[in-house]
Amino acid sequence: MKIKLPMLPEPAIANRPQVIGSKRFSSWLNLDVLRRHPAGNILIIVSLLEIACVVGSMAFPDQFRYLSPLNIQSILRAVPQLGIIAVGVGILMIAGEYDLSVGATFTLSALTMANTFEAGIPLALAVAAGLMTGLIIGAINGIVTLRARIPSFIATLGMMMLLRGLILFSSGTQTRPFHPGPAFESLMTGSIGLVQVSFIWLLLVTFAAYILMDHHRLGNHIYAVGGNRDAATAIGVNVPRVKLSAFVIAGGAAALSGIISTVRVSSVSPIQGQGLELQAIAACVIGGVSLYGGKGSMIGVFLGAVLLYTVQDILLLLRAPGFYLDSFIGAIILVAATLNRVIQKES
Amino acid sequence: MSQTGSNSSSGSKLIELRGITKKFGNVVALDHVDFEIRANEVVGLLGDNGAGKSTLVKVMSGVLAPDEGVILKAGLPTRISSYADAEKLGIETIYQDIALVNSLSVYRNMFLGREQTTLFGFLRRPAMKAKTMEILRSSVQISGILSPDKLVGSLSGGQRQAVAIARAVYFRKKMLLLDEPTSALSVRETENVLNYMLQLKRDAVSCVFVTHNLYHAYRVCDRFVILSRGRRVRDVAKEATSIEELTTAIVKE
Repeated sequence: MKIKLPMLPEPAIANRPQVIGSKRFSSWLNLDVLRRHPAGNILIIVSLLEIACVVGSMAFPDQFRYLSPLNIQSILRAVPQLGIIAVGVGILMIAGEYDLSVGATFTLSALTMANTFEAGIPLALAVAAGLMTGLIIGAINGIVTLRARIPSFIATLGMMMLLRGLILFSSGTQTRPFHPGPAFESLMTGSIGLVQVSFIWLLLVTFAAYILMDHHRLGNHIYAVGGNRDAATAIGVNVPRVKLSAFVIAGGAAALSGIISTVRVSSVSPIQGQGLELQAIAACVIGGVSLYGGKGSMIGVFLGAVLLYTVQDILLLLRAPGFYLDSFIGAIILVAATLNRVIQKES
Repeated sequence: MSQTGSNSSSGSKLIELRGITKKFGNVVALDHVDFEIRANEVVGLLGDNGAGKSTLVKVMSGVLAPDEGVILKAGLPTRISSYADAEKLGIETIYQDIALVNSLSVYRNMFLGREQTTLFGFLRRPAMKAKTMEILRSSVQISGILSPDKLVGSLSGGQRQAVAIARAVYFRKKMLLLDEPTSALSVRETENVLNYMLQLKRDAVSCVFVTHNLYHAYRVCDRFVILSRGRRVRDVAKEATSIEELTTAIVKE
């Protein structure tokens, strides 16, 4: 005996495409639909975690100060640094490539900005120079990877080492000050109440990336070259150009993050960006970006970065010793990558 | 038995290949092969494994450049050195391993590389989705695809074939090269693809049907070209031959 489930007659939908929208809307609350969305799982996990934190904080306001203004501020201030880089790295990973040099790009771009500004160049030009540094490094990464036909993992590993040397050389291993004045500082890192402007930048970057990937031709091509390079070539997509764009975007995002972070702490330290490249990949993987390219969503990457910092924050609030932090994040990455694999197999 | 077959009926030549030679190192994949596609016909390109069928298809779709030989369009020499060239001539290839991106939805595959966009490159998603469903419903009855948002990776072999064919039809190709289109399909899906080729002919789209299966070829093709070890050994109209004779030709030559 089969039990008949109440369902919308599918052919009716097929004959009237305009119904599809309303059908999807009415089942928004359906957990299955949410889980099928690329960022659905991570959204559920982050939501549950946040709810747990809020409840925990209300139950033990003295021991677990998650909701204290100071803590909220510090989360909103910390997430953008990684989040903005991760969005760029996520786009590149969807295109089927990696960039291990984003951490160094982050620092060198900021350093370029600080150095040019210190040399008496107008602020706007100094900021432009910082951004250009990131875009150019991204372009070089792309050209080397595509022209030499070597894995981007290796090409950008080389670039990372090279840039680190360059950073030490041009900073003289010293922390360089950067005081651009109050107007620029509040534009990059001010706050509106508890909300940090840098977090608004992250939201803007995420939204722009979402529009690019879901509503623009270039995004469509990025998914295509990452999903099936041969098919994209056969259908006439200019694969090298699309991948190059993704490299440039990743470099640009790293530079923007470097600039914002530098304004926040008013200085550039040569070791500032180290480790960010792997954390960015971690945020992407947690957010559901495929390690093999072609799949992933920008909202997922954003949530991945939020999750990483939330976990760090919880451990800090619980006064866990520092070494727990890395182990915990390592475990999350393993779980996330495994889950993604399982989910992809199912569908 | 006629080896040229050029006396058979049907229309003007859409494209003509003369003396095409292609070598891979010491291996001669194509040895001075002549081939033509005429208006309103289905040509069966037959031959055993390694006969050079796929190489010939790749030459016509701009994937491989021939070492020797000329390609004529309306009697004038032309070149097919890229996908764009093939597209300009109205040739679309549907490969064995279909050129679709599994991780993209149906409508994104349909319009990949030829997206409908606004001035600044933003996708006209509702328009493309509606168009996709319209094409799949009206021209390719094999589909059964209910939503343009479905991922191509979740479709059956026949449905994927349908998307690839619909794409070719929508972008008004004059010639469709089908490289083993039925090898991965169920019996019913195969039937649909075969019928669809006949329908395409009525819609003035010519097909080159590359296959191992003589019975499939015999049902839909108007003309047969048989390759053997890189050489063309037969070019014969359907009226002038039989399945038995074709089989003998493929096996013996």
